[in-house]
Amino acid sequence: MQFFFEVLIGGLLSGVMYSLVALGFVLIYKASGVFNFAQGTMVFFAALTFVGLTEHGLSFWMALPATLVVMVLLGLAIERAVLRPLVNQPQISLFMATIGLSFLLEGLAQIVWGTSVRGLDIGVADEPIGWIADRFGLNISKFDLVAALIAAVLVAALAFFFSRTRIGRALRAVADDHQAALAVGIPLQQIWGIVWAVAGAVALVAGLLWGARNGVQFALTFVALKALPVLMLGGLESVPGAIVGGLIIGASEKLAEVYLGPMVGGGIEGWFPYVLALVVLLFRPEGLFGEKIIRRV
Amino acid sequence: MTAARSIGGTILEVDAVSLAFGGVKALTEVSFDVREHEIRAIIGPNGAGKSSMLNVINGVYRPQRGTITFRGVPRHGMNPYDAASSGIARTFQNIALFKGMSVLDNIMTGRNLRMKASFLEQAIWIGRARREELDNRARVEAIIDFLEIQHIRRTPVGRLAYGLQKRVELARALAAEPALLLLDEPMAGMNVEEKQDMCRFILDVNAEFGTTIVLIEHDMGVVMDICDRIVVLDYGRKIGDGAADEIRGNQAVIDAYLGVAH
Repeated sequence: MQFFFEVLIGGLLSGVMYSLVALGFVLIYKASGVFNFAQGTMVFFAALTFVGLTEHGLSFWMALPATLVVMVLLGLAIERAVLRPLVNQPQISLFMATIGLSFLLEGLAQIVWGTSVRGLDIGVADEPIGWIADRFGLNISKFDLVAALIAAVLVAALAFFFSRTRIGRALRAVADDHQAALAVGIPLQQIWGIVWAVAGAVALVAGLLWGARNGVQFALTFVALKALPVLMLGGLESVPGAIVGGLIIGASEKLAEVYLGPMVGGGIEGWFPYVLALVVLLFRPEGLFGEKIIRRV
Repeated sequence: MTAARSIGGTILEVDAVSLAFGGVKALTEVSFDVREHEIRAIIGPNGAGKSSMLNVINGVYRPQRGTITFRGVPRHGMNPYDAASSGIARTFQNIALFKGMSVLDNIMTGRNLRMKASFLEQAIWIGRARREELDNRARVEAIIDFLEIQHIRRTPVGRLAYGLQKRVELARALAAEPALLLLDEPMAGMNVEEKQDMCRFILDVNAEFGTTIVLIEHDMGVVMDICDRIVVLDYGRKIGDGAADEIRGNQAVIDAYLGVAH
């Protein structure tokens, strides 16, 4: 039983890390209806920029705001240069544009900072927390716990921001109906700029945590693939959906690996989340928390 | 009509406006004025250019010729955002609400331009952002009471019946405290009771807040009952302008509606 809880908690904590990446997708999808394929690359870009700056002698607390500024500016630049010219184009064009963008950013980041694999130290060790191990006999990673807390705070703040402030409401309004949003006096372009800037900031947090865990390297862009089943499960436009989806995926993939894995020879962690997401799609096409598709005939 | 309000000077002046889409002339040399605190109707058969006229006033379309003067300021190259910030609110013929959002949130978006707290203040929810949110929430609650939609406050708009959605859209427009309210067929598709309610709300809004209203409507009975003055369009041209009685006796209007032997 103790082993079960260890696996479960480990899974939930890594699930929060998936949520963090999924959140970046949700933000942009919610406000502009664009599925931002470049989100994974933005995570990589943020981590690489941070590491690059620290290698040039900046301390952690200097590099953090500097990278934040870079990511916000990057977000604003993407909105301005890539998406604004494509306003009112079909969704698929916007999606294709973000694919192109992801290649551009991958290349750019590696031209500037090089292609070698680097370590990233955020000062939290990946080791069991002593007093939990003593008291409950459970091995819980300190790093996982801190990462989960950071992600939880960020998610709570964003959920509040979306539901309780003018700009949050304006974001949802813009996502729903551009024409109506303009008529009530919501400045579309300002709102999109804000969303991309916030998505850049979220990518930074995800980049730091994932970079610290897996090392900063090109493969970091693939964390986006982990976010896909989370998005399918939780619903593309729901911030709470991203968090709950992440928890379910994280916990279930670890449990499946440990308990079902031996029966089929192991290695099911990689594909189990997708199967789970597909099963959910069969019953709820909009995901668990997605906005209900309401049709009137 | 109500004794409380008195019709003031001209608030909106439409002067010789022409609008064409390629070869199709939607509006030709249309001129009329709207006075402060009045309810002005634009009527006409299908395709007469009524909605186009509203879209010109609201900045969705830019006319090729003619000028629009709102509160003494001539407008050029205006877009819907400019219109909203200068005090023009509107509803749409096909209801343009934010379907996934609750009634309350929809109406709160109407107060968007009245809220000034910056992005950072809102992000960390301090000082002005918090106070502003509460103040504006109170205003919105007053509008909700006024339009008698308290019971659906938390319902996502997409789930509401058509008539109620129209009422929510009116509430969102009112939330902006507009100087000029444009209503595009506020009673289309409603049953008799819903129509009566909507008439009452339009009259109450006008009487209580003194809001100037321009509305498009097909139901002649409604128009004749609640409007001070009426503009009649046909094939993009103005064929009549005046109080209900004058319009009733206007031969061009009768011909446009009933057809004329050629």
